[in-house]
Amino acid sequence: MYNLIRVEFFKLRKNRSFWTLLFVLSVLSLAYPLLYYFDHRSSGEPQITGAEFLITFISSNAYIIKFGVAVLAGFFISNEYSTGVMKTIASSGNTRGQLFAAKLIVFAVGSIVISLVFPIVSTVEVTLLSGFGHLPEGSAVLFISRAFGLTVLYTAGYAAIGALFTVILIDSGKTIGFSLIFFIMIDTVLVGLGSKVDFFATLYDYSIFKLVGNIGKPSIDSGELPALLLVPLLTFVISGMLGMLVFRRKEIK
Amino acid sequence: MYEYVLKTNQLSKKFKGHTALDKVNLSIRKGSIYGFIGQNGAGKSTLIRIVTGLAFPTDGTVELFGTSEEQALIQARKRVGSIIESPALFPHMTASENLEANRILRGIPGKDCVHRMLQQVGLQGAGKKKAKNFSLGMKQRLGLAIALLGDPEFLILDEPTNGLDPMGVIEMRELLKRLNRELGITILISSHILSELHLMATHYGIIHHGKLLEQLTAEELDEKCQQYVYIKVDNPGKATTVIQNELDTADFEVMQDGSIKLFSRIEQPGKISSALFSAGLEIEKFMPMGEDLESYFTKRIGGNVHV
Repeated sequence: MYNLIRVEFFKLRKNRSFWTLLFVLSVLSLAYPLLYYFDHRSSGEPQITGAEFLITFISSNAYIIKFGVAVLAGFFISNEYSTGVMKTIASSGNTRGQLFAAKLIVFAVGSIVISLVFPIVSTVEVTLLSGFGHLPEGSAVLFISRAFGLTVLYTAGYAAIGALFTVILIDSGKTIGFSLIFFIMIDTVLVGLGSKVDFFATLYDYSIFKLVGNIGKPSIDSGELPALLLVPLLTFVISGMLGMLVFRRKEIK
Repeated sequence: MYEYVLKTNQLSKKFKGHTALDKVNLSIRKGSIYGFIGQNGAGKSTLIRIVTGLAFPTDGTVELFGTSEEQALIQARKRVGSIIESPALFPHMTASENLEANRILRGIPGKDCVHRMLQQVGLQGAGKKKAKNFSLGMKQRLGLAIALLGDPEFLILDEPTNGLDPMGVIEMRELLKRLNRELGITILISSHILSELHLMATHYGIIHHGKLLEQLTAEELDEKCQQYVYIKVDNPGKATTVIQNELDTADFEVMQDGSIKLFSRIEQPGKISSALFSAGLEIEKFMPMGEDLESYFTKRIGGNVHV
């Protein structure tokens, strides 16, 4: 298992899509606050602080998580089917479960790195430009560690769903396209179904698709916290196990 | 101790309404070079994919290094190197990086094996070149280098000479023969170039429509490859009448170009030629010949076909 994780990290390090995503997101993360900064400067409005920026925009990071997971799933995992590398991996004398688990772990780590670019780069930049400021309530350290911790957890949950799609769809184009459409549409679909059937409303309320929006909430009730922590963990475990199950039965062409 | 590196027992594979493998009992003796022959779609790749764990049988079992239990079979695959259908490479990685990735995957200690493998397949100068810029022949060599990582006891090669130039084909053949001779590596090799297989295989398996028609050793093949007299005359129709009436045999075959292969009376060439000559036939060619692997295979599957 150790070798499998090592080789997946080696492949991630050599993956051009991963580095391209990191580079593009870093540039955009640097450019986005600058637009605000110069806009506010020219209009004379007070500058947005690091704390305000984090609270306002961390929920937008969900789009980056979804996009990053979809693209990386296609180019990091599904691509191995078209190049034939999956044949070498699957015939290497390791169980399918171990192979999928190693892929999922490293894929989740790669996705997490991508998901943290925007909040870290932009917040640091805004803080350097206008200072961090103050949060409306609670301690900054607690808020930042909670927001970043939840980003990590929710990205892992999304990554597990993306990895499940890769073993079902195989083709990288299909994986990227389907994952993007799924992640974009799932909220609308579940809300629509929830308005007719209560079960779907409850399902949506306790799904990562809805709860991901709570990452940037300045204060979280103690009653909300267990769900906020457990839902992404359960999503990771259940999707991961489903992916393993599908991959174990998959014939590799 | 196991005698056979690979054995399949009543191995079957069915797709929707199509039988890809039909109760195949194949056995590959340790230390042999097994030439696996069959047309496209005969079932060669399906069998190889099942043996390497990429596909699952509908029925029957696979025994690798004497073991057929599921978990032991997965472990046994660590002792197998393979190229299945085409070399599996990371196109954006260099040759060295491709080998390095596979070295880590297989848990092989020390990086020196990467250079050694590149040298072994004649790619020592191309280690820093990206795989996507390789010719098909170079990709085949790199695929072989990857298959050889970790010193496998059993090599499974599906069309390893695809894309190689004539010198590359010879080098590949010599390399495989050397690996077999010096390291005792057992090799299963499927190839469309039967003349090439004939130069290295010690055993053969002929598969057709998912059925293993025959397994034989190179010696048995030589015995079975029929000797005949090749006759080319100006009037093949009259010649066949003369052969039937004067030589009293119907053991011949008229080819599409009008030439005749006479399989009996071959020990009496004088009698054959004088019978034809006496009938007023003009003999253009007359020579004793033997069948090769290609004609034996064609005859065995019953027709003129492309492998």
